[in-house]
Amino acid sequence: MLGVTLSRWTMSYFAVALLSLLAGELALTLGYGYPLPVLNSPATLAVVHVLTLGWLSLLLAGALQQFVPVLVARPLAHPRLSLPILLLLIIGTAGLITGFHALSTGAGGAWFALAACALSAGFLLLLWNLLHTLWRARPWALPARFVLAGLTGLTLAVLLGLSFLGVLAGATGAPWTVALLGYGVPLHVIAALGGWLTLTAIGVSYRLLAMFMLAPEPNRRGSHAALWLGATALLLAVIGGATLVVAGLDAHKLLVIAGMLGVPALLLYLRDMRALYRQRQRRVLELNASMSVGALLSLAAGATLLLLAAVGGNWHAWLPAIVYLLLFGWLSGLGLAQLYKIVAFLTWLEVFGPQLGRGPTPRVQDLVDEPHARGWFRLYFLTAWLAATALLLDWPAAFRMAAATQLLATLAIVDQLWRTRRLCALRQHPLPVRPALLCVRQTPATPTENHP
Amino acid sequence: MNTAASTPISAEQAREALRTVIDPELGYNIVDLGLVYAVTVDAAGVLYVRMTTTTRGCPATDYLVQGAQQALQQLPGCAGIEVELTYEPPWTPAQMSPMARLHLGIDRASAW
Repeated sequence: MLGVTLSRWTMSYFAVALLSLLAGELALTLGYGYPLPVLNSPATLAVVHVLTLGWLSLLLAGALQQFVPVLVARPLAHPRLSLPILLLLIIGTAGLITGFHALSTGAGGAWFALAACALSAGFLLLLWNLLHTLWRARPWALPARFVLAGLTGLTLAVLLGLSFLGVLAGATGAPWTVALLGYGVPLHVIAALGGWLTLTAIGVSYRLLAMFMLAPEPNRRGSHAALWLGATALLLAVIGGATLVVAGLDAHKLLVIAGMLGVPALLLYLRDMRALYRQRQRRVLELNASMSVGALLSLAAGATLLLLAAVGGNWHAWLPAIVYLLLFGWLSGLGLAQLYKIVAFLTWLEVFGPQLGRGPTPRVQDLVDEPHARGWFRLYFLTAWLAATALLLDWPAAFRMAAATQLLATLAIVDQLWRTRRLCALRQHPLPVRPALLCVRQTPATPTENHP
Repeated sequence: MNTAASTPISAEQAREALRTVIDPELGYNIVDLGLVYAVTVDAAGVLYVRMTTTTRGCPATDYLVQGAQQALQQLPGCAGIEVELTYEPPWTPAQMSPMARLHLGIDRASAW
């Protein structure tokens, strides 16, 4: 084993994820889901899961199967599981969305049962694949530890989700499951958004941003404190909160305490990122690094609003804006910015990697058109912030206008990614092979996934 | 590889050939980036290369090693190639040549 090989289905994960993002944004633009219906309406739940499962979870699942091997310098334990995991997660997400859609007519039971089976099997296989890879690479550096904490969040989110689906599918009516469905939804959101998506994104960003900017990887006492505070907040909120809910007690105070641990964790991470940008060797930032600043600012704003809401008791009024800011500004913004680099990098490796040493090859940067993409990324972040502000001020019309413009910016970014994958910037360059849109072609010169 | 030539190959020729291999992310050749730690040639014309990558576990690693082999295979007088990948010492930007630093817009490179 020399290096890490290309994951065959990563591009398929990214393609389905991006389609889900566009679908979710279109729904918000058309007024399907919050803020027009109430927050816990079936329509809102459907849109939220299109975005969190279809977009962010598939994005992270695909990226992790490519980059956990980079984090630990070991090959993926079970590369053949990637396609079954993708298919199961797509089927499960589609079943869940259909179930929510049918909920208003009371006919969602069978769809929820399908979703429960497919999602639990898909995430179980994903966890097995990633944990087995990580386990073989002990001891772990800080980024891998964050990913482990994120996978803990995924496990908790899936377990809570399964207990909800058990009730919705009519498979169980046990009092503790009914109590969790009634009062445990915030715990599910914390496990998914704060644990799985945020802690994992933090772990990956520590390594990727340091790698791309030629900066020393943060590994200070504060970096480790961020990990422990974040992980403790997650466990306290979700496991402690679920215990209280099942016991019929109010979990509100516990969640505030967990928040008081979680927000400093985010601030410590942001301090690390500021140091990383300041200490970078590459003075001129590439687009993925410069646009990631927008995501980090969104996280800072979200953390500040969380703190203010906890102090001022404005939870119900501010929560939609905070969730929107974290979902679109922080997680989706970071995801899109990193995708811009990752798609180009993986495409370069697939097409030009085998040509190294045989003749001149273009650079990864030659595959992208940064001046064109930069404006669309700026518009994306601007509209995400405007939409969050509109939610904060309770201006539904302004929210839909911002969401519509955000959809336009996302479409343009997806077009840029498609052009990168199709090598449109290299039309004059002789191409050894044209990459398939959805999977990595295995050429004889390309190391296989079963590399010893 | 070409073993027909009678002139013995030199380490400098090998380094020059390795300059055709770029690190895709940094967009500059692996010799000036300081990724090639050592190049030696034995009496039989076998080339030994000790090299690294900017990050351990980089997905480009296999391609860079294979690229180095392919670049050297084209040299006349090359009787064999052995490429060793190492992470001791780990690479830092301080190992870049002044030209590579200029290309990347780095004023002064430090070892992190």
